[in-house]
Amino acid sequence: MRPTRLPLHALLLIALLAVQSLAASTFAQAQLTQVPGQNSPTTKEQVPLYVPQDDKLIGRVSIPDEKLAVLVQPEGREWREWRTHTLRLAIAGLAIGMTAVLAIFFLYRGTIRIHGGKSGRLVLRFNGLDRFAHWTTAVSFLLMALTGVILTFGRPLLIPLIGHQAFTPLAEYAKSIHNFVSVPFVVGLLMIMGLWLRDNIPEKADWTWIRTAGGLFSKAGGQHPEAGRFNAGQKLVFWSIVLGGIGMAATGYLMMVPFAVSGIGGMQIMHVIHGLLAAGLIAAVIGHIYIGTIGMEGAFDAMGCGEVDENWAMEHHRRWYQEQLRKGYVEGRQPAE
Amino acid sequence: MLVKRSSAKAAGAKRSGLVAALADSLESGVSRRGFLRRSGLAAGGIAAVGALPGAMIRKAEAGPILPNVEVVTRKNVCTHCSVGCTVIAEVQNGVWVGQEPGWESPINQGTHCAKGASVRELTKGTRRVKYPLKLVDGVWQRIGWDQAIEEIGNQLMDIRKASGPDAVFWLGSAKFSNEGAYLYRKLAAFWGTNNVDHQARICHSTTVAGVANTWGYGAMTNSYNDIQNSKALLIVGGNPAEAHPVSMQHMLRGKEHNRAPFIVIDPRFTRTAAHATEYVRIRPGTDIPVAWGLLWHIFENGWEDKEYIRQRVYGMDEIRAEVKKWTPEEVERVTGAPGSQLRRVAEALAKNKPSTVIWCMGVTQHTVGTANVRALSILQLALGNIGVAGGGANIYRGHCNVQGATDFGLDVSTLPAYYGLAEGAWKHFARAWDVEYDYLKGRFATKDLMEAKGIPTTRWFDAVLAKPGEIDQPSPLRAMMCFGHGGNTVTRMPEMVKGLEKLSLLVIADPHPTTFAAIKERRNGTYILPACTQFETDGSRTCSNRSMQWGEKVVEPIFESKDDYAIIYLLARKLGFADEMFKHITVEKDRPVPEDILREMNRSCLSIGATGQSPERLKMHMKHQADFDKITMRAASGPCAGDYYGLPWPSWGHPEIRHPGSAVLYDTSKHVMDGGGVFRARFGVERNGVSLLADGSYSKGSEIEDGYPEFTMAVLKKLGWDKDLTPDEMRVIQAIGGGGAEVDNVSWQTDLSMGIIRVALKHGCVPHGNAKARAVAWNLPDPVPVHREPIYSPRPDLVKAFPAIEDRRDFRLVQLARSLQFKVADSDLRQRFPMVLTSGRLVEYEGGGEETRSNPWLAELQQSMFAEINTKDAERLGIRDGAWVWVYGPEDGSKAKVKALVTDRVGGGTVFMPFHFSGYWQGDSLRGNYPPDTDPIVLGEPVNGVTTYGYDPVTFMQETKVTLCRVEPA
Amino acid sequence: MARMKFLCDAERCIECNACVTACKNEHEVPWGINRRRLVTLNDGKPGERSISMACMHCNDPPCAAVCPVDCFLQTADGVVLHSKDLCIGCGYCFYACPFGAPQYPRTTDFGSRGKMDKCTFCAGGPEPDGSVEEYQKYGANRLAEGKLPLCAEMCSTRALMGGDGAVLADIYQERSLRRGYGSGAPGWSTAYGRNDRGSPFAPGGPGTGGA
Repeated sequence: MRPTRLPLHALLLIALLAVQSLAASTFAQAQLTQVPGQNSPTTKEQVPLYVPQDDKLIGRVSIPDEKLAVLVQPEGREWREWRTHTLRLAIAGLAIGMTAVLAIFFLYRGTIRIHGGKSGRLVLRFNGLDRFAHWTTAVSFLLMALTGVILTFGRPLLIPLIGHQAFTPLAEYAKSIHNFVSVPFVVGLLMIMGLWLRDNIPEKADWTWIRTAGGLFSKAGGQHPEAGRFNAGQKLVFWSIVLGGIGMAATGYLMMVPFAVSGIGGMQIMHVIHGLLAAGLIAAVIGHIYIGTIGMEGAFDAMGCGEVDENWAMEHHRRWYQEQLRKGYVEGRQPAE
Repeated sequence: MLVKRSSAKAAGAKRSGLVAALADSLESGVSRRGFLRRSGLAAGGIAAVGALPGAMIRKAEAGPILPNVEVVTRKNVCTHCSVGCTVIAEVQNGVWVGQEPGWESPINQGTHCAKGASVRELTKGTRRVKYPLKLVDGVWQRIGWDQAIEEIGNQLMDIRKASGPDAVFWLGSAKFSNEGAYLYRKLAAFWGTNNVDHQARICHSTTVAGVANTWGYGAMTNSYNDIQNSKALLIVGGNPAEAHPVSMQHMLRGKEHNRAPFIVIDPRFTRTAAHATEYVRIRPGTDIPVAWGLLWHIFENGWEDKEYIRQRVYGMDEIRAEVKKWTPEEVERVTGAPGSQLRRVAEALAKNKPSTVIWCMGVTQHTVGTANVRALSILQLALGNIGVAGGGANIYRGHCNVQGATDFGLDVSTLPAYYGLAEGAWKHFARAWDVEYDYLKGRFATKDLMEAKGIPTTRWFDAVLAKPGEIDQPSPLRAMMCFGHGGNTVTRMPEMVKGLEKLSLLVIADPHPTTFAAIKERRNGTYILPACTQFETDGSRTCSNRSMQWGEKVVEPIFESKDDYAIIYLLARKLGFADEMFKHITVEKDRPVPEDILREMNRSCLSIGATGQSPERLKMHMKHQADFDKITMRAASGPCAGDYYGLPWPSWGHPEIRHPGSAVLYDTSKHVMDGGGVFRARFGVERNGVSLLADGSYSKGSEIEDGYPEFTMAVLKKLGWDKDLTPDEMRVIQAIGGGGAEVDNVSWQTDLSMGIIRVALKHGCVPHGNAKARAVAWNLPDPVPVHREPIYSPRPDLVKAFPAIEDRRDFRLVQLARSLQFKVADSDLRQRFPMVLTSGRLVEYEGGGEETRSNPWLAELQQSMFAEINTKDAERLGIRDGAWVWVYGPEDGSKAKVKALVTDRVGGGTVFMPFHFSGYWQGDSLRGNYPPDTDPIVLGEPVNGVTTYGYDPVTFMQETKVTLCRVEPA
Repeated sequence: MARMKFLCDAERCIECNACVTACKNEHEVPWGINRRRLVTLNDGKPGERSISMACMHCNDPPCAAVCPVDCFLQTADGVVLHSKDLCIGCGYCFYACPFGAPQYPRTTDFGSRGKMDKCTFCAGGPEPDGSVEEYQKYGANRLAEGKLPLCAEMCSTRALMGGDGAVLADIYQERSLRRGYGSGAPGWSTAYGRNDRGSPFAPGGPGTGGA
């Protein structure tokens, strides 16, 4: 059956209507006797080769493939600009920018030490389930980031190195991995939401943390604002990952079933959202990895073995530490009375 | 960007030939403009490739399918519509592997429509019938050819014995070649019945009747190409953009080159109307008021061609009297077309001459079809447009050989070449076939039935269901032999299904099983014979413009299929008259040779001038297509020099006298040996004291510079021209005349020596005489066309003023008209069925559509049956575009479930449905009823499931364009 | 060297679908792959026009620009081809193409849509001209045989034209002048640029990306 018009950008529809009314008026000029009008060309050279308005044209097709009723979609041009330049700029710019900022920060601050040194007493920060959720999400995110980066940057960076013949299978695998690994990513995402959402609800104290930038810039150390299980920085990472991840998953899956819910215009928008979220998340994750590894002494232990040093906990998550203490979860200490 | 194309250089070098060919022509002396003109590029695109040397065009040695295998090129003609596009087939190892544009054809010049561009699929034939089949208790069984012919033959003989030869209905096909059509008519004659018909009944029978009764011959007067000479085009009830797309090439060129007004009158804003300069929307079924409305303005303003009317038209004053009634206000009241618009159209036609009128089934398929045709013919006569290049009545026929099949007598009312059924006609053919007249008479039940019109295809089921007393023949129909004819093409399908159920024998010979095979009511007594397409056999076919083209066999019949000649021969042999029937036709390996059949036709079909088109001449034309002019269709050089392409009939006399054919009928500006002509003296020489012969008008070079009657021995003697006959010719004429006074009655039509024709031509005269065209045809039910409302009229208030014709009997059956119309008008039917239903064509499909719906390349483009509903109606009824709807018809509780296509293409209150679909019945799929692997890819409800009663009185044409219906969301 | 282009004269096109079936016929294009299609604008209303659309073989093909594996190539004639050996079926070319030309064998297969297929201007693919592999992957290579695309060659009203852009422009302009008006050749400016008044497209020029 002949399809109806697809809902697309309102702006472009308005433009389309303008074009069609213009076109209709030129057709109407073709009158019975076909006498050329005043503006009709008198020499061949005056005849334009194109309709000057090359805006979106939507019609009717007899084949069932409704998307093909779009005759000309000029937005392809903007999307191309996005895909070939803006997207690369966004991902590379944010990632490199973040790395550079971290490098400078590292030079300025070095690894943030535990102010009081290691106490040797450990506090359980993340249990097995916590860690499983984290690493499922983390590994799948990294895989998707890597494969996404290959698909985005492979053409300028890898093809000159390894050639077309080798790059195609690489890209093919990259695409498959990117698609399939999305499943564990979403599972991980759901798990961390279930496990940590409660502790990540913003509270008043977070404001203090943000105002003092978490004490990151106080070289003297130990000047940490109070924090619960998660400080404002971690909450920021959590919400970035959760909201960004949901956004990426949604747009990603919709792109995997093309034209299921929208026409090409909607898919282009989804791709832009997917790309921007990816750029932001990659940068955020770079920061997250930094602070979780070389940026801070004792932080990796939280996700590594799940237990952190008492002093670290005291410095960084005093409120949480006290709670743990109260509950008697700190190794070798009696619950405080 | 990747640069990988290692062969780019080599390819570039090869291609440079093409580019060089273009560039050379552009630079060497000829200006680009001149080059473009010469090559046809300026007019039409990339035909320049046609100007490349042959070697360039041949397929590269490394072909796509099989490298290093020889590619043979064969030329045939598209089997879909009457335009007659040349198809170039590339064959490897007996397989059709590629299709190329036939640049040289003057008709299509390399172009095709969707159907033409897809014909190669026919010989791949995945959905074709592959072997003979027999229906046993509802299950299809594979059988062999011998068994099939044996069983069918025995059953036919049994029926003949019990019920007489008229109990068998022989339905032929417009997809036969000329030779096949002629042979099939001959088969029916030897079987002993006039119950032999084909698709022309339901497409242009009214045109043939109307036009032949006006000026002599029932055919398109000019040609598609000639429309390029037209200064104005009027298309009424036709949609060539979908039905004859390649003709649009000529029409649009005419429109563009001459800046010609391009006017479309139609109830539906068709794809043709989209290209019109003026579109007039009318209420369906009001063509006569529109024609008279146009003539009203013409007469009122004195725009008619008075001298032409004086010299060449009989009875125009009676027309004036009728036209006077149709004032602009009255026309608008009845048709809905504004008077000011019709005035503009009339002026455009009158002031841009020559103007042409084109019509199709929107005019013919009505209860007033013949009168519609006559009204438009009279319009053209008033404007003096007939017999003029650029003018004419350009009637687009339907199927690829519906013109030829009509010409060669697949008709219930005539023998080949419109000789009729009178004793004289039978005697003529008895002589031509070299059998005794008494032998033929003996084959029939009675002499009366031998001379009585048979049962037409529109009413065959009425003849099956009739009780013995209700039908003017000894027995109702008991068997149907259906060759190449869809089952969903006639109206009132619920009745048709009942008729089908009652038949004791149904034989379908077709490349596809057709709707007949899928009707679930039949469980036994059905046979399917795999007939091949015209691409798997050879023979000639006549396009709408009367050009005959010889099609060359592209591949051998695929699977176990056989061509029509062979099947007809096998039946004739089984029925016991093959020896008589094929007395002068060579039969090789059980297959009659088509060239021999054509030669027999050339010898006998004198009346339409189908005598000059010998197989040798036709083949030569196909071979030297490039020599023919693309507009005049005349060859300037080469072995065919002087000929018109395809020797459009009449091509008078023996092939040896080399008559060039007649591109424009009745054209007095040319010598008769140059294709000139005059109106045919077919209806006597005077009526009520008024001469019917032309007055001071004659074809160029005629020795009689006035009208004259048709040539007989008596006329020759009177003129003293009988001395020009040779002794051989005299001997033949004497023999035909039986030696006595009858000799004077031997006419140009019966003189098998063609001496009378030769002598007439020698003196510059047209053998059929020189008469006036008849504006008044006194032998028709309506001598002057008058408006009559359709049976199921959407305007009951007009019915009493414009009633249908009185009930009558014809074609061996009762025809209800006025009684039914009044009953409908007086009932509340209009309230229950408030919408007008009309039907029409889609470009992707043809006819009943089984063949084209089985072709994946076409089927993909239209995957569901639909009904077009006006946006306002849809809104009112709550119908969304693409949603399912039920369309209810007013008879038999009929209904069809289709998809809604909401569009302003149809006017408010009108529903349009295409007629190509079948395979669904009132919501249920019949897919399982087709023989395995032969069900078409796309199935849908047939529109004729909901169409209704209504027949033209002259030909029993069915009314498909106006009935009532109701639409409801499903 | 000719610069190959398509031009569809909206004034002539009658939506007969010959181009579509010619394409199916010549290349044995499977069901569901619409290398060429017809779109009707203003369907059923005055001013209705139909356009035959396929890959226009743009001067600066967006599909080639966005392809992550760089599988496109443009011949010296300006024909845009692609390598099915390299294509990973990501679908990006459809995002970028202004004309909806790229087609995919599968609509959803968890992200793998099969190798992209599109109009080749009847010029086959990167394989050797006229080879069996070329035919199987891309269809016939008419250009190598000195023939133009079959869709344009068979167009019933000569609305769709394919060939040297300069010649097409000339024909179109002459035709429009003769009829006194033109209703445009949609897609032309999008594909070939606004200032491209029939000037031959130089190989290696700005639009080819150096090809």
